[in-house]
Amino acid sequence: MSAPSRRLVDLAQVIRSKNAGPLHLTLDIMFPDAATYGIAVQSPALSRAAIAALYAVDPATVEVIPFAAANAIKVVMDRPVIAGSPGDTDVYGAQQHRPLLGVVL
Amino acid sequence: MSVIARMLDTAPRPGGAAGLRVLSASGQLGNGIPEPALRAGLARAPHVIGCDMGSVDPGPAYLGAGRMATSEAVTLRDLRLVIHGARQCRVPLLIGSAGTAGAAPHVAQVLDLVRRIAREDGLSLTLAVIHADIDAAWLKGMVAAQRVRAIGAAIPPLTAEEIDASAHIVGQMGTEAFLRALALEPDIILAGRACDTAIFAAVPLLLGYPAGPATHMAKIIECTSLCCLPGGRDAMLGTLHGDSFELESMNPARAATPVSVAAHSLYEQADPLAVQEPEGTLHVASARFEAIDARRVRVSGATWEAARQPTIKLEGAAPCGERAVALAATADPAVIANRDLITEGVARAVREILPDAAFDLRFRAYGAGATGLYPGAATALPEPGEVFFLIECVAAAADIAKAVVGVAKQSMLHFGFPGRLSTGGNLAFPFTPPEIGAGPAYRFSVYHVTECDDLEAHFPVELVTV
Repeated sequence: MSAPSRRLVDLAQVIRSKNAGPLHLTLDIMFPDAATYGIAVQSPALSRAAIAALYAVDPATVEVIPFAAANAIKVVMDRPVIAGSPGDTDVYGAQQHRPLLGVVL
Repeated sequence: MSVIARMLDTAPRPGGAAGLRVLSASGQLGNGIPEPALRAGLARAPHVIGCDMGSVDPGPAYLGAGRMATSEAVTLRDLRLVIHGARQCRVPLLIGSAGTAGAAPHVAQVLDLVRRIAREDGLSLTLAVIHADIDAAWLKGMVAAQRVRAIGAAIPPLTAEEIDASAHIVGQMGTEAFLRALALEPDIILAGRACDTAIFAAVPLLLGYPAGPATHMAKIIECTSLCCLPGGRDAMLGTLHGDSFELESMNPARAATPVSVAAHSLYEQADPLAVQEPEGTLHVASARFEAIDARRVRVSGATWEAARQPTIKLEGAAPCGERAVALAATADPAVIANRDLITEGVARAVREILPDAAFDLRFRAYGAGATGLYPGAATALPEPGEVFFLIECVAAAADIAKAVVGVAKQSMLHFGFPGRLSTGGNLAFPFTPPEIGAGPAYRFSVYHVTECDDLEAHFPVELVTV
């Protein structure tokens, strides 16, 4: 019998990104149950330092907020460009979750 | 008797067995309200109907240009549906963040559409119109008094220069403004930029419901059925009892579950546990979510902390030039491999041809990481088989922007680089002309919070009869 998968894409129900106002980007990672959420919330792969390294940004600009009521982990990051200003690449911030898809807990 | 006087006579007060029914008809009025769920909601005899029209999500162009993000045809359709729905139920209709951005031109456009509906459908309506435009002189005074702060690190501290550069600055009104408008007993409240929650919490507060659960319910239903599984845009009914409320989608295919509703607290919020409003803060950390049945949820436990110092969240947009783009693609592996060298060379060539023009030229290589906002997003991408180039210029004048992208695309088409085989051209144009004028470009110039000692002075209410 093989060991259960530790890949985030296999464990999470939702992995999404979206602006929270034009100055912040949020990543929501939602799990199907409290047990899976418990594995994720304890994993160093979803720590502030790990997320900052994944996106190659300063850890001081990243905040990780566990939210047990929704079996979810929220990440809030400063946007490098104000949403919709010249040089922005994603006005709604809805396509910034890709780096999370390779995470192994 | 006005619809509000009637509501005050008949609507249940806190603790009543039946509960106060608040129908959220739309979270984005003007994008097409699904009609079956709206009809189902009206059949439940709501005590008040609310609609949100606005958002900063679509970016600064709408606030800056004074334009609605939604089409006139669909906005007219949606307004007609909710105006007739509210008349049918004889209840007040509250519309917030008129015309996407809620500044004076947006409010005026929506008011014109309401006038047209009244004329065409033979209705006589009284509207309380609440304005949300922020006085520049007052705001400069608040900046000088160091009572304004940025909401995030991406925007610098506010200055008088940025206030002057802004085409429009609005403030998000809270329930305080809606309560003043309700006191005038209109049929409809048409509000400029407003907190989404204020639209749905104002009537419960008027009737004496506690602010914690009332604001929490408002926060959830303002996006209609987005808090359900599967999420959608169908009308949502919130029934408020006092310390608790119930949620039910008016589309039977959508289920509100304890987890789906709790998860909605995360959506577009920087802090899922605390929601800042002008008059105070909603705390949801102690909220409880219980299933009533497979598709209804009961929520309780949110608390309200009144602000010692009221604040207003400000949004402003400034023009930053005229934009033009050119669209082209490549399928040549050598062009793809040398894309950075080519675009850097093209940028230099354009600068040599137009040495005196002020412009901002960007190349985006789609298929090769152009979507990522953060440096880490582009790592471990596979080498693409083809790449789409978006060449973008923002300049002071439209003809300069178009000239820049025109020169850039021509230079890029024939740009020589080591190892080039396909000397017929580096690019495939999908159509002609490949240069397109994209109109004025805008940026958010203001996204700050100001302290405010007199909320009433900044959100004046005007009665309009149509």
